[in-house]
Amino acid sequence: MTVLLYVFLAFLNGAVIGTSRALNGRLSSAIGPFKASLWNHVVGFVFLTVALVVLGQWEWGASVPWAAYLGGFFGALFVAVNSYVFPRLGAMHAALLVISGQMIAAVLIDWQAGGESPTGLRCLGVAVVLLGIYLSQTRRGKEDRK
Amino acid sequence: MFGRSTDWVLGIAAGALLALMIHYNSLLAEHTTPTFASWTAHGLGAVVALLLVLLTGARLSRRRRADQEGGERTPARLPRWVYLGGIPGAFTVILAAVTVNGSLSLSGTIAMMLVGQIVFGLVSDHFGLFSSPKRRIVPMDGLVALCVLAGSALIIFGGS
Repeated sequence: MTVLLYVFLAFLNGAVIGTSRALNGRLSSAIGPFKASLWNHVVGFVFLTVALVVLGQWEWGASVPWAAYLGGFFGALFVAVNSYVFPRLGAMHAALLVISGQMIAAVLIDWQAGGESPTGLRCLGVAVVLLGIYLSQTRRGKEDRK
Repeated sequence: MFGRSTDWVLGIAAGALLALMIHYNSLLAEHTTPTFASWTAHGLGAVVALLLVLLTGARLSRRRRADQEGGERTPARLPRWVYLGGIPGAFTVILAAVTVNGSLSLSGTIAMMLVGQIVFGLVSDHFGLFSSPKRRIVPMDGLVALCVLAGSALIIFGGS
């Protein structure tokens, strides 16, 4: 039963992510994507500071490779780009395209970082995701002609 | 339409940026904890975002003055809650750490989070949540979602 609870929590987490992107998208259309990204990071930083005080999880890691700090850089860019396209594409299409890009990039990153070529199943997965993007395009094409 | 194709490409590019962000944040989390790694990433991200605002701000405001457009420049009418997107965004990391440390694997957590995101998008478009424009869901959307989810499942559970 506890497994089901965690499955539900993870599912709920997807909705939490969606809420964050919807708010940032709404903010972006009013004050611009870069300012929306700034607000997102400042508010998130304050929230996590409180969370860390409550949880007591301050762990300044020893011998952290410098590349590990690149996450913040890509995060700032991601929130800006995602907030810009979110209201333009709509919640569902934005989610589908972002997931597609994320999954394909993850395969390439693992390939580059791990040095092993992706498994056949993973290649098939990339093909199926690409088919999904292609199908969304055919629908878009029809809509544009109307 | 060129404008909409650009949005489409930017959506996929955003996904690639997200994958890079997660890759490097996971590296940091390996040396610390997920919450602490996210705190560090938010702090550094705020600095980067501030630089982006300063770099683009000068150019944009000059163009805006030239255009003299009023458009959406009414922050007074903007509800306060739209500034709080960072809270659910940061909470995600804590919740993900809970499920990964629980009986759900990392793969299972990621897969369920993707399903949750797509279902949320569907519900949000249908009801126009958070004062977003309502969008009609057509059967083709379901087929696209099925392809993206099935492909993602193959990538997540298909080994590295």
